Amino acid sequence: MTSPLANPVLFHLGPLGITAPVVVTWAIMLALSLGAVLLTRRLALLPSRTQALLELLVEAVDAQIRDTMRTEPTPYRAFIGTLFVFIFTANWSTLVPGIEPPTAHLETDAALALLVFLAVIVFGIRAGGVRGYLASFATPSAFMIPLNFAESLTRTFSLLVRLFGNVMSGVFVVGIVLSLAGLLVPIPLMALDLLTGAVQAYIFAVLAMVFIAQAVGETKPDNDRSDA
Amino acid sequence: MSIDFGTLALQAVNVLILIWLLQRFFWRPVAAIIAQRRAAAQAMLDDAAKRQAEAEAQMAGIEQVRAGFAQERAAILAAAQAEAASLRAAAEAEAASAAKALEAATRVRLSAEEKTAMAALRGEAAELAVRIAGRLVARLDAPALRAAFLDSTLRELATLPAELRQGVRVLTVTSPAPLPPEEQTACAARLRTALGGEVAISFAADPAVLAGLELAGGALSLRNSWRADLERLRAELDHAA
Repeated sequence: MTSPLANPVLFHLGPLGITAPVVVTWAIMLALSLGAVLLTRRLALLPSRTQALLELLVEAVDAQIRDTMRTEPTPYRAFIGTLFVFIFTANWSTLVPGIEPPTAHLETDAALALLVFLAVIVFGIRAGGVRGYLASFATPSAFMIPLNFAESLTRTFSLLVRLFGNVMSGVFVVGIVLSLAGLLVPIPLMALDLLTGAVQAYIFAVLAMVFIAQAVGETKPDNDRSDA
Repeated sequence: MSIDFGTLALQAVNVLILIWLLQRFFWRPVAAIIAQRRAAAQAMLDDAAKRQAEAEAQMAGIEQVRAGFAQERAAILAAAQAEAASLRAAAEAEAASAAKALEAATRVRLSAEEKTAMAALRGEAAELAVRIAGRLVARLDAPALRAAFLDSTLRELATLPAELRQGVRVLTVTSPAPLPPEEQTACAARLRTALGGEVAISFAADPAVLAGLELAGGALSLRNSWRADLERLRAELDHAA
């Protein structure tokens, strides 16, 4: 059994070594994009069942953004929604035999956490400008600058570790049980792993919303901390 | 434990591309169709509200028209009642006038009928008197009666002016029945004496004379008969009526 932390290069694309998580991510991207194109070809005012499900997903994401960020969801819908959909799909890709979720590898989770870190900066600067965003580190006082800076790094790191730990541990546990017991024994653990994957996708998206909302709320000129 | 930064960068780029793809092909179209449906629903609601307002306005207009109908109906009823009262008054006046005219015509007709009836009664009375007189004459002694009438006729003739008597040249003596020849001769002689000259005397008979003699000739007309008496009596009755 290979280590779950191992990330062998499958092939090289120029100077870049293409690993399994990247290939699986491309497959997920292809599936999601093709699915999106196919499902949204015939959108109508009178929705079909499929369209109703799609609209339900969009409305749920919008409602979650409204409830968490206390703002209109349009600027954040694509980022937050795609994070949730991608992590959810990646976590549940373990259902496909022989596929290991990209989120079970540190690089994918680090990339997601890095994107959230950058998104916080981008949305914060967009809301209050560079000066406003930098000034947000000095709240409530200038003495808090080191702590706030450290917090922005550690919460990003916590995102990375939380997602990686949960998904990797699920895959690891299922692999161990599968190697020790029969064919059907790991099924409850796999179901638990699916539940964990869904919950972790939700948690990752919600935490991303919280961090972005905090940055946007602190950098707005008419700052209202109660909304953060 | 190590981290592959190349894979990290690739995964970051992959996720960014996925964000763009889903934004392009999923989030934006679905959100757009939701917004479009909301706009359509809002437009329908606005249209419904507008139609409701229009319907309420039309209902208010209808209520006003209905109120106008009630007023117009009341006015029409009042006008009809006034016209009916006017027509009734006119009919009553016309009926009263017609009744008066009928009453007057009836009075005139009754008066005429009364006069006619009175005249008929008088005629019948005269007729009855003539019949009674005829019966009385029939029961009297005819020669003596004729002699008495001749005497009275001569006495009346004597009261007439002499010029009138002497101017008579032709005289007709009318009696109820033809006089016997001897009485005609005697009568003619006494008349010529009373008239004082040559007079051509002729005799005629007329039952209507009833009794007595009637003389007619030139300007002379002397009627000493019951017919003349009855005519005078009738004239007096008519005058009295």
